[in-house]
Amino acid sequence: MVTGDQKIDTRITVETPEGVDFRFMLAGPGKRCVSYAIDAVLKLAVMLVSLILVGVSTGLSGSRGDVTAGVMLVVWFAMSWLYGACCEGWLNGRTPGKISQGLRVVRTNGTPIGWFEAFGRNLLLVPDGFMVYGPLALNTVALISMASTLRMQRLGDLVFDTMVIDESREFISRAPGITLGIDALPRSECSGRYHVPERTLAVIERLFEGDRLISDGRREEIARSLSLALRRRLGYEEPAPDPTNPNTYFAQAPRKHTLFLRRVLKTFAEDGGGDSDDAPQTRTLRTARSPRKQREQRDRVSLDDLTRSDATPSMVAGDRSGSAESEWST
Amino acid sequence: MNRERFIRKRRQDWQHFEQLLNRLKARRLGRWSGGDITRLASLYRSICYDLSLVQSREWGARLEQYLNDLVAQGHNCLYRSPPRSLDTVLSFLAGGFPEVLRKRKHFFFVSLALFLVPFLISMIVGIIDPVLAERLVDKAQMEGAGESCSKEFYKRMDVEFAEQRSMMAGFYVWNNVGIAFRCFALGAFCGVGTVVTLLFNGIALGAITGYLVNQGRADNFFSFAISHGSFELTAIVVAGAAGLVLGWGMIHPGELSRRESLRVHGIDSVKLALGAGFMLGIAALIEAYFSPMPIPHTVKYLVGTLLWCLVYIYLTFGGETAPRSLMTLPEESGADG
Repeated sequence: MVTGDQKIDTRITVETPEGVDFRFMLAGPGKRCVSYAIDAVLKLAVMLVSLILVGVSTGLSGSRGDVTAGVMLVVWFAMSWLYGACCEGWLNGRTPGKISQGLRVVRTNGTPIGWFEAFGRNLLLVPDGFMVYGPLALNTVALISMASTLRMQRLGDLVFDTMVIDESREFISRAPGITLGIDALPRSECSGRYHVPERTLAVIERLFEGDRLISDGRREEIARSLSLALRRRLGYEEPAPDPTNPNTYFAQAPRKHTLFLRRVLKTFAEDGGGDSDDAPQTRTLRTARSPRKQREQRDRVSLDDLTRSDATPSMVAGDRSGSAESEWST
Repeated sequence: MNRERFIRKRRQDWQHFEQLLNRLKARRLGRWSGGDITRLASLYRSICYDLSLVQSREWGARLEQYLNDLVAQGHNCLYRSPPRSLDTVLSFLAGGFPEVLRKRKHFFFVSLALFLVPFLISMIVGIIDPVLAERLVDKAQMEGAGESCSKEFYKRMDVEFAEQRSMMAGFYVWNNVGIAFRCFALGAFCGVGTVVTLLFNGIALGAITGYLVNQGRADNFFSFAISHGSFELTAIVVAGAAGLVLGWGMIHPGELSRRESLRVHGIDSVKLALGAGFMLGIAALIEAYFSPMPIPHTVKYLVGTLLWCLVYIYLTFGGETAPRSLMTLPEESGADG
């Protein structure tokens, strides 16, 4: 069920009968408009094709023109009233337009919709499409209703207790802006075998999310303690200035801790995202040793070590939502 | 167990689950083998457990996202609406729909009053003063109706009308069912749209009827309208009742929460609307193929009366499988014992 603190984004948490919470991404008006438009075009196409087919077949069989007209009127009726409902009924809450956008209609408790819901919510497109200012404002009622409800439901959704979710498995890749143009840490610069845990990466990310709130200097200050701890673990040694272009070194030196954290993020967090290769087999820093030794290393230095260390306890140990943020915003 | 060990241990199951999902998704529900379903269900449960473990230990946003996706897909795969066959459709139309209508009969009668009262009033107005009736309804429409019921038209009807029958059938489906669905859907404005639609339809039909009676074409008109009117007029009232149920669920939730009330009333109302659509489909066929047939009016009146009886029987007794006394007796004794 929805509680107060979840209203900030478009995720809805649903508890399954198995007692697990999982999240659905709600589909906003934008994607729904696109899928609606695709469906509209498709309906038009179906009508055109059937007009040609029916016209040709009645013409060949020599029957009168009224059959064509009658069949076409029925097709028109079916396209305008039954298309969405039948698609959603058959395709488990999807229409071709929704499939193309990765959307699906489900009940608000996460279970799939039945035929009656499918019909109901599609019939209620009439009041949803009610125009307030003539042809200028399409689907005004639906938009108002979506804007004012938590699950972005239009009237038809509200009445039949459904919502439209976004199923496209979109993995927000780790902090795309933060690691832009940053090099990963090369093997040669690190002697340690430490794998930076997920939780620390999340902390680093949050440090950079706060762009608007803290100055670069302050961020460097905050980054310093974490950076030092990580350097120790990783056995990282700052390379000397590049003799061919010493400028880069001196330009980066004042921000070296933030830069280092970005590189850590780049190295450990960017691995294509999402699939079960989340397990850190493929990462830059762990290639050389045998799997067994790797395992030993990893088990020895666990997440808890870092949490207990003296490095910025509030950032590392603080839970991901509360304490860390409050410190940064000061 | 730490995170890496956990991943190593479980990832095989996750991959297996993914493969199974992909395989089953491509297939129709009826073709799933029992073994697959059992396997899927048990894997699903174990992955649910994995997810809650990862969530409680905060083992990384991406791992959580991955498992969350697996659970979501599995959930959609396992918890789906039961497959519907033609059989369910038939049993709904034969039994489910009349049953819901009987359950909501108060709405039906209110809707009937909203339709019938303006109908009768404007019919009487039309009979007494056709000029006034012309103000109520578009004049061209009225004259069109008058012409189509005129004597001359009846003579060449078998020639002319016969050529249009299929088109008219399509037109009646498109137009009438559309009106009924719209009448229902506008009930979402707290029922106001439905009430307005019912009143206006009542006034318009009444005025035309009155006008035709005044013009002395009553016999032609009634013999034409009686057969399909049975299904059509009833269906309009049913569609109105559907809209009223919907609006009532919004205005007066009673002891339920408004959301809950909307759901309860919403499902019933859409059942009524679908039933009305079905009846209008039948009406369209009758109106296009039977009503304009060049046969003696007596036959039409006879068939029309039979059809009215049929509608009455359908809506009153449809869905009652057996006499109630027989059905309840064994249950009660079972409950006692």
